[in-house]
Amino acid sequence: MGIFLRTVEKVPCTVEVSHKFESLHAHVKFNNGAVVHPGDEVLVSGEPISAPYGEVVIEDREATIKRATAIERLWTRLTGDFEFMELCEFSFSEETTL
Amino acid sequence: MNVQTSVKASRETNEVTETTEMAKETTLLSPRFYTTDFDELDRVDVTPIRESWDEIMEELRSDPNKNHFKKNDDWDSVDFEAIEPELRKELIDFLVSSLTAEFSGCVLYKEMKRRGSNKEICELFSHMSRDEARHAGFLNDALREAGLAVNLGFLTRKKKYTYFKPKFIYYATYLSEKIGYARYITIFRHLEKNPDNRIHPIFKWFKEWCNDEFRHGEAFALLMKTDPKLTSGINKLWIRFFLVAVYATMHVRDHARPAFHKALGIDIDWYDDRVYRVCNEISRQIFPIEIDLDNPKWKRNLGRIREAFFALDKANKRGGFIGFIMKVAPGIKALSAFISLYLMPMKKNQVPDNPRLAPTF
Repeated sequence: MGIFLRTVEKVPCTVEVSHKFESLHAHVKFNNGAVVHPGDEVLVSGEPISAPYGEVVIEDREATIKRATAIERLWTRLTGDFEFMELCEFSFSEETTL
Repeated sequence: MNVQTSVKASRETNEVTETTEMAKETTLLSPRFYTTDFDELDRVDVTPIRESWDEIMEELRSDPNKNHFKKNDDWDSVDFEAIEPELRKELIDFLVSSLTAEFSGCVLYKEMKRRGSNKEICELFSHMSRDEARHAGFLNDALREAGLAVNLGFLTRKKKYTYFKPKFIYYATYLSEKIGYARYITIFRHLEKNPDNRIHPIFKWFKEWCNDEFRHGEAFALLMKTDPKLTSGINKLWIRFFLVAVYATMHVRDHARPAFHKALGIDIDWYDDRVYRVCNEISRQIFPIEIDLDNPKWKRNLGRIREAFFALDKANKRGGFIGFIMKVAPGIKALSAFISLYLMPMKKNQVPDNPRLAPTF
């Protein structure tokens, strides 16, 4: 992590997408134990992963982690909490009217 | 430190070859990714609430709803094309945003489980993630019947990670789970008495379903109980803030979905008031304060916030310079109404030593 410059890491990852009746989920796991910090950006490379209905797709891919600078990380830690309403999930979308 | 997610859904309408065919829509789930202080989560010590903790964990392990989310003869078919367009739009918004909420919970809890090293916390989040993924799958199936497919392509899009302190995750998620319970059980009880208003079979599943939400809320109440600081001192001001923000948001969003509630035969003011009262009663298990719903300022300022938000929405839709000017007055009105609600005297609660409750509504 630089103070002013962003660093970029390429890490191997495993993507799991379940599009089944029993479970709808999608997760990315970094295989080298890389950890994401506030303000970092992650991009999984390749085509969008689409799991047909009723199937689970597990693929090994490469992810690019663009590390936030120390200043960005601090800023994200200080201001992230203001977006707390995103954590409040209950019925209806956030559009006031449809 | 670390990750997780909430999801926002956006809808894209694909080209349909047959003009007579109902548009096939794709709902793209585009999650937001969060980080939190994982070291702090790892330090959580459940010793002070050991007995209640073991109880809730045993309940989660036993997975009471394992066989509940199955389609059986109770699942009547729904002809979405025959539903009046306004109602169809609101019903689908309900299903999509419920799926979004469940999906977010699933990713959030899974990441908390994956990144933590505290065995008890990891096990808790693993069970909760299982429940949410199951709910999401069930909702997804209902959406497929309506001709709507979800697209999980967000994984290959750029994601930026923001940050929340664990306590904000506790307050927000606790309230979301408990309010979710209160909403589902209120709808379920209402439709029990008025089965003709059941516009979709999914409501028949709500009773057992909301017990999952209730259980998750119980777990968050216990997490908050592990550290008395989380519900005292300055944090009482944060609890007050979350209560007002969440209740007011619910008021605005529900009032913007008139066709949905009318079809269910639900009076929105009655419904919201009932949900707030259930949620107030439950949250006495852990929150030392509650909103005084009988203070006339409560209803008056909720009304002002609603009017202001509807005016802001109109201004946003108009856009441009005139839209910007149109936003000034309602912006001030919304803020002043919110401050009035925030400053209303709160009712004090005597929080019990043992927070555990049963879903008896």
